[in-house]
Formats: sequence, C-alpha cells, structure tokens
Amino acid sequence: MLFWQILIDGFAISSLYALGATGFALIFGVSGVLNLSHGALMVAAVVAAWAAGNDLHVGPYAGAMIGIAVGFVASMITYFLIVRPLQQSRKIREQEKEIFILTATLLWGIMLQELIAYFYTNNAKTVAPIVEGVVRIVGVRTPANEIFTAVVCWLVIGILWLLVNRTRAGKAVLAASMNPRGVTLLGVELSQVYIAVWAIYGVLVGVAGVLLGMFLGVSSYSVGPLTASAFSIVVLGGLGSVSGALIAAYVVGYLETLTAYLISPAYRTIPALLLLVVVMYVSPRGLLGRR
Amino acid sequence: MGSLSTTRVLLIGLIAVALAAFLPLGVSGYILGLLTIAFYFGVFAMAWDLLFGFAGEVNFGPTFLIGTGAYTAGILDNLYQPPIWLCVAAGALAAVAGGVVLALPALRVRGPYFGLTTLVAVLMLQNFVVVDASLTGGEIGLTVPDVITISDAKNYQIALWFMAISGAILFALSRSPVGLILQASGQDAVQAGALGFNVTKHKLTAFVISAFFSGLAGALLVFYLGSASVGTFIDITVGVQIIIAVVIGGRRTILGAVLGSIFIIAMSEALRPVGDLANFIVFAMALVVVLFFPNGFFGLLTRSKETS
Amino acid sequence: MAEKNAHLEVRGLTKRFGGLVAVKDMTFSVDAGKILGLIGPNGSGKSTVMKLIMGIERPDAGSVRINGTDVAGWPSHRIARMGAGIVFQHSRPLHRQTVLENIKLALLPDKLTRLLADPETDTKARAIAARVGLSGVLDRRPATLPFADLRKIEIAKAIARDPQVLLIDEPFAGLTSKETAAFSDLICELRDDGRAVLLVDHNVKSVARLVDRVLAMYVGERIAEGTADEVMRNETVRRVYLGGTIETAARPESSFRDTTTPFLEVKNVSVHYGKAQALDDVSIHVHAGEFVSVVGLNGAGKTTLFNTISGFLPYAGDIRREGASLRGFTAATIARKGIVQCPEGRELFVDMTVRENLDLGGQHLPAAECAEQIAWLFDLFPILRDRQKQAAGTLSGGEQQMLTIARALMMKPKLLILDEPTLGLAPVILEQLSKALERLRQTTAITVLLGEQNVTFALPHADRVYVLEHARIVWEGEPARFAADVSTGYL
Repeated sequence: MLFWQILIDGFAISSLYALGATGFALIFGVSGVLNLSHGALMVAAVVAAWAAGNDLHVGPYAGAMIGIAVGFVASMITYFLIVRPLQQSRKIREQEKEIFILTATLLWGIMLQELIAYFYTNNAKTVAPIVEGVVRIVGVRTPANEIFTAVVCWLVIGILWLLVNRTRAGKAVLAASMNPRGVTLLGVELSQVYIAVWAIYGVLVGVAGVLLGMFLGVSSYSVGPLTASAFSIVVLGGLGSVSGALIAAYVVGYLETLTAYLISPAYRTIPALLLLVVVMYVSPRGLLGRR
Repeated sequence: MGSLSTTRVLLIGLIAVALAAFLPLGVSGYILGLLTIAFYFGVFAMAWDLLFGFAGEVNFGPTFLIGTGAYTAGILDNLYQPPIWLCVAAGALAAVAGGVVLALPALRVRGPYFGLTTLVAVLMLQNFVVVDASLTGGEIGLTVPDVITISDAKNYQIALWFMAISGAILFALSRSPVGLILQASGQDAVQAGALGFNVTKHKLTAFVISAFFSGLAGALLVFYLGSASVGTFIDITVGVQIIIAVVIGGRRTILGAVLGSIFIIAMSEALRPVGDLANFIVFAMALVVVLFFPNGFFGLLTRSKETS
Repeated sequence: MAEKNAHLEVRGLTKRFGGLVAVKDMTFSVDAGKILGLIGPNGSGKSTVMKLIMGIERPDAGSVRINGTDVAGWPSHRIARMGAGIVFQHSRPLHRQTVLENIKLALLPDKLTRLLADPETDTKARAIAARVGLSGVLDRRPATLPFADLRKIEIAKAIARDPQVLLIDEPFAGLTSKETAAFSDLICELRDDGRAVLLVDHNVKSVARLVDRVLAMYVGERIAEGTADEVMRNETVRRVYLGGTIETAARPESSFRDTTTPFLEVKNVSVHYGKAQALDDVSIHVHAGEFVSVVGLNGAGKTTLFNTISGFLPYAGDIRREGASLRGFTAATIARKGIVQCPEGRELFVDMTVRENLDLGGQHLPAAECAEQIAWLFDLFPILRDRQKQAAGTLSGGEQQMLTIARALMMKPKLLILDEPTLGLAPVILEQLSKALERLRQTTAITVLLGEQNVTFALPHADRVYVLEHARIVWEGEPARFAADVSTGYL
C-alpha cells in the first residue's frame, strides 16, 4: 500500500520536475546560461494563474492559460533585459560573463520574489485544479489532479520531443545545444535559436508552474528551493543533457517522496542535496554529462 | 586601485573611521543602530570579496559561513551561558570548520558547479535550522539570553572598530604577497602552480580567513540583535545582499564592499516609506549596476586607469 | 645562477586520454647548456609532453628526472621547486598589477606567513626586468603593453625562480622577425647560464638556429631525432610535413571567366588576437570554379584567415564576395550566401546520426532537393551511406572528415572552405579524401579554398597556391613552381 502510494506520488512530482528541468537544461545546452531566476519565473506563473482565478474569477482553463502566458512573458523579459545585454556587453571580460549572468539572474529572481510578496503576500497559493475528485489506483486513493499533472507533463515533454526531433527548426535547436558553432556554419542564426529556446523555456516554465500550483501550491518562499531543485536535477543529469535531466528528475523526485513518507516530510529535500554533493564530488560532469 | 598606495588607503580609512567614531555625539540611536548593522554587513561583504575577488571562487553561500558562526554562538549561549567572548570565539571556529568543508569541493569542481555546492550548503543549513527547532528555534528564530551591551553608542563603537580592524587586516592581506599569490591562483591556477605556488594551500587559507571573519561578524551580530533567525542570517536573499554589496562597491577592492554595504542599508532605510517594496528597489538598483557599471563604485573611480 | 649539472631526463613517458594515446613511450634528455627542440604538427602530443614534465598533467607511465630526481606525477608546484620553469604560450598576467608587481609575484616564496615582501625582491625583480628588456615599462599595466612585452613578462616570471630546466612553448608565435631575433638572443643567454632548455614548436625552421638537437613527434610518437639539418632531411619527417612526390594538374588562372572580379577577394586583411597579430595585410583572391590552396604550417594563420572570411572574427581591410563587401554580415548569413566552411575542429553534431547531420546541412533546401543532394553525396562518399544511422561521434576520424565535407556540401556552397582536412588522418584515408576532392573538381563547378600543412594533399588539385607564413602571404603561384621555389625552405 505505502509502496504504491510512494510510486504514484513520486511519479507525479518527478514528472513535474522533469518538465521544469527540461527547459533549464535546454537553455544551458544552447547558450551556456544557468538561469537562477528559474524558480521565480515558475512562481510568477503560479501567482498569475491564482490571481486570475481569485481576483478576475476566470475559470481554471483560462487561469492556466494566463499563468502560462505570464511564464512566457517573464522568460522573454529575462532574456532580452538581462541575459542578452550581458552576453553582448563589451565592458565585461569574457571569462567573467558567466558569473555576471549568474548574479544578475539571481538578482532578477529575488526582485520577482519581492514583487510577488509585495502584491500578493508571502502566503502559499494553490491554483484551483482543472480536474477534481479522487480515483483509486491499485487501492491508493489518488487525487485525479495528480494523474492529470503527470499526463500533461508527459504530453508536453512528448510535444517538445516531436518538435525537436521532427521539425527542421527544432532539429536546428537540438543541434545548437550540441554544438552552437556547428549550426552557425550551416547558416543558422544563433541569435534566433536563443530566442526560440527562451520562448520554449517560457512555455515550459509556465506549464510546470501552473501544474505545480494546482498540485502542491507555492509561495514566494518557494523561489529558492525551486531554482535549487531544477539546478540540482540538471547538474545531476549532466549540464546541458536534456535526457540526463529527465532521468535525474525521477531520481530526485523519488528520493524526496521516499524521504517524505519514510522519514519525515521536514527532511524532504535533504537526501537529494546530499546526493548532489556526492555526485559532484565523485563525477563533476554529472551522471550523463557531456561538458 | 593600484594607483593608490596601500598606506595612503589605510590612512584615508583611518581618518574616516576616526570621524565615524565621533558620530554617536550627534546622531540618534536609531541611525547608530542602522550603521551598526551596516558595519557587520561590511565585514561579511569584505570576507566574501576576499574569496571571490582574489581567490576567484564564486561563493553563493556566504550565509553558510555566517549562519554557522551565528547559530553556533547563539546556541552555545542559550544552552550553557558561558562568557560571551567564548561564544563568539566558538562561532568563529565553527565557521572556519564550515569554511574547510566548503573548500573541499571547491578544490575539485569549477565555476558554476562550485557555485551550486555553495548554494546547496546554504539550503542544507537552512533545512537543519528549520528541522532541528528544539535546538535552533526553527522558523521562529533563536533568542539569546545575553547581549554584549544595550547601549547604542557602545554597540556602534564595537561594530565600527571591529569593521575597521577586520577591514585593515583583509585589505593589508589583499595587498600583501599572499594576496598577490591568491590573485594569481584565482586567475590561472595552472600557471600559479608552475611558478611554484601550492594553489591548494593558498585557496584553503582564503576560505579559512573568509570563514573566520564571516563567523566572527555573524556571532557578534547575534549578540547585538539578541536573536538569530533564518531570515537574518541564512536565507539566500541575505547572501545575495552581501554579493550585491560587493558588486556595487566594486569587486576586488575589499574596502568597496563596506561602501556597498552602507549604501544598501542606507537605501533600504531611505526607501522605508515605500514599505516592503524597498528591497525590490534596492535589488533593481543592484541589477542596474551589474548591467551598466560592472566595476562598481570603486571601479568607476579607477576605471580610467584600468582600461586601455 | 643555475648549476652546471642541470639535467632533464625523460624515459618511457606515456599519457592516455580515454582511449587516445596522446604520448607514447617518449624518451629523451637535455643537458645543461643545451637546447632541445621538440617539434610536431598540431595534435602530435608535443604540448602534452611539456605539461607532463611540468606536472600539469599526470603521466600514465614513465619517469621525468630533474637532476636525477624522478618527479613524474608530482604536483606542479613541487616540480617547479625542483628547478623546472615554463613559459606558457598564452600570457595571462595579473591585469590590475604593474609589470614590476607581476615579476615580483614570481619571486615570492610559497609561504602564508610572508605578509611583507623581502626588500631584496624589488632589486631582484628590477634586475630580471632589465635582463629581458622590460626596464622601460616597469610601472605600466600589462593591458597597455604590446604583445612582445607580454611575452617578455612570461619569460621574466619563468626565470625569476632561476630554473635549471626551462620549457618554452612556441617561443616565437605572434612575434615580428625583429622581436624573434631579440627573443632568440635571450634564449641563448639563458642557455649559456647552464640551463637545460626545451623549445616546443610546430616546425624545425623556426627553432633551427637555436637548437642543438631536434626531436620530431607525430601522433604521440617520436619519428626522428638529430640535429636540425638531419631532422629536416629525414624521410619520415618530410612525409609528415610535405607528403611524398607531388603531381599537379593546375588550370591556368586566365581560364576562369570572372577574371575582372573574382568570386572572393580578401584585400589587405589584418587580424589581431588581443595584442598578437594573427594576420598581417593578407590579400588573396579566388575565381569562381577555381581550386586554391593556402599552404602553411600550423600556427601560420590559415584558420584565422578562414574564420575571418566566414565572419567569425573582427578584421581590418576588406573581404568581397562577387565585388560586394561582406563586412557587417553575421557568420550564418555568410554561410547562407554560399561561403561554407569545413572547420579544422569539424564541429559535427556528435550525438546525432550521420543522416541527421546531413539533413541539418540541407535544412535550407526544399525536401526533394535535399534528398537529391544526399543521394549525390552518398555516391561521392559511399561509406556514409552505410553509416547513415550511426551517431556521428562514433565514426572514425576519416569518416568524420567526409561527413564534415558532405554536410557542408548539403548547403550547395558556391565556395567551399576546407581547413586542414587531413589533420590526424591515416595515409589510406588521405587517398580516399583526395579522390573525392578530385571528383568534385572534375564533375562540379564548385570553388574550393583549401588550407593545408600537408603539401602532397594540397597541391595535386590546386590551380593556384598561396604560402602563408607567420601571418603573411609570402608566396603565390602555380603548384608546379612550388616545388622549385618554396619546398626547400618550408620545413
């Protein structure tokens, strides 16, 4: 019984992590950017969806759409206002750009966090789920929303996979994540690829955020942990490797669920962080890293 | 910065500190309180600058060291009430141990990976504090039974001279042969090794020194505030404030970090009328500095000499 | 000053990176007051040997003895203290410190307790600066100095600890001939102090005047050792650098119709990497349909030239395509305009299949045309047809090179730039590649600009040849005349 519960709960949360981390990994693979405002973008999407439902009284579908749209817009702002100016800056030495982008996105994330806390308080917000009710799976009472979450996550990941593997533009993006210079030589403008991945990332962040809001609920305090979990997953999977991130998402998701059920929910995040430290120490390139 | 001689900078600093020492005669206790906090913050920021600016280590977890020092001192006082100086010393030592722990991965993994381990260290400490509430006070915070003094003026003088001495030591260190070797190791560890420098030893030292001052300042701050909480000592936001203090003040200048800290505290205060939005505005200003003036205040003063 | 018994002895030194053997069983020694030149083309392992000696990489087997003490596997700083010093090719001085402070750094003891510098340090640093010729710029910051002075700072740092064994990586890269002469004198002086000196460079010629002996490496192994003359005459060395006998089949330049405006014109182009001059007033042109080879040793500036044409580097001068300037266009636009490069590093998408790599090359084409082009390429490189479903990263070096060329051809280029396609390939593969190029030349109207160190590969197809040396074009002419005019001085 407990076994099945852990299996099902873990699957849902892992799928969510997978979705969140995919975009993060994609951006790093293509442009070498680690976006430390990741968690803030997700929370922004949740709060938008929540506010749409609460203040504007729109239905759950419309609310979700608004949340996704906000995630998308926030992602584009992050790229155009923060990441791109730094990448193109002449004042900063090349070797220092990485640390500047890290610092700037971290700052930006905290700005968003403060802004959200200011307008919508620090209280946890749960978005009204699209699917309600409870179903029984192998004897476990499971909220239908949990199943919905897992299904949507895999649907979106599936669509992304098709997009990347079955369309020419998508293929170019994938190729750019392996070798940016290679695609330039084939006449693909990297600047356009960057915009494309940040757009894709924005949608993924929006979807993942809204689902998270329906599933667990978030507060402005979730910004740091959400960034850290995406970061951990991506590092565990090997920076830049999307497939690695997917696998790592399940490792982390299940580790957290196991800890929560078997030890205490309070210790939820600790084993995953420990694992991360150990993996980084033993194999700094992650489990499936290329770089 | 190089154009100003070490002694001249120290002299200017000494004059500034001496003038600041007379401030309690003319300003309210409230402002003294703010400056007290700004001075402790200044030490945090200088200690961070030593690690980042000189040893080249991207430490996103200054609050890991500060929190370790602060909580060790606070918990010790709470449990056994030894003399305060003993608590402070224990806090500094615990932070040094924390610094060594933090340094271990730094000697193996590079760049963003190390940045992540430091972030993880902060989250782990935060988790520990929240979970182990019986010892640490958890999310509510830890109240310490003792304070060094309740006099605003005395607290102000303690913080001022503590900052002045720490600053003088850290600054002299950064300008000393050791600081030069540290910079060389941070910039190009391979070459530093080929010149006969034991890079590991020097970087470890940088971590230990940075941790010592962070922990010491953290412990002292606990006995000024009379309490410790995740929000004031450990939260990533606090760490980011320290980092932006350095970035605004100018990296690799040590003393710029103090200016940055005072600026941040002053801005937060000046923006008090806008309420909770104050933090947002301070962060936004920091972002503008990062985007448009990557060398910070001190950098602006010396920029013309740096570029070619 | 250095002791007279300075001695470096390397035995059976071996280093593997994964499955690749970078250095295989190297054995040599350098005595006090002698200079050994270690030469080899890119990827031959010569730099790795240097790093192994200095402890920057750990050897898998073998010994490195400095004055009799085996230091193999020691950390770098301990080897440095045993009396080894290295001059890196790329200078990375401390930018916020003055030249004098940079030199002082190297004089500091490795102690944490030393908070004040020795008063002697200043005197010593000034003496070293005077010796390498930096006295006039002691208080300047590195960023304001010319490239040659930056190199001098590196030398000053390396000799500050008075090393008995001195390793110098590409001593003359990026220097003018006058600066080179001054540098040579300095190196000779250091040798005369009784140091054992190891010079690492691409070719014999650049170090011939200095060295007592030369050791030539190729793909991790020693291929020749002796005096500079002996090594230059050595058959294996000649084959590696020049290839075997050369047949040429040039078409006269006048036979290309666009003689008034060539397809590609590079006019007085200069490029700098920081302070180092990588291209110096280079002018070349390529007519539509012509096959032009740019011959030059590694480090001469071929890759820089091609990357400049492809729009990756800022430059002074002008580059024109059919008379219209290419300035301001992005690298991707230039590629879409039909100037397509096969880079030295190949830049394949290693986790994608051969077919996917080719499809990416053809992404600007309509599907039908793309399929047609792939069919034609499979005809040109039959092996790629068999390997279609294989990941590009799992191909052999030769197959990868064919895929790189095929992928570029999917773009239907007007001008195909091939940068060093033979790098690290076995002779059999060279022949296949050579045949494919010949077929390309015979059956299509394609224009090719080929950069090569291997003359045998570069000349047979070429209609015209440029020789690039030290960032400058030093010779231009028909391939048939190359043998007579240039090849003797080429090594």
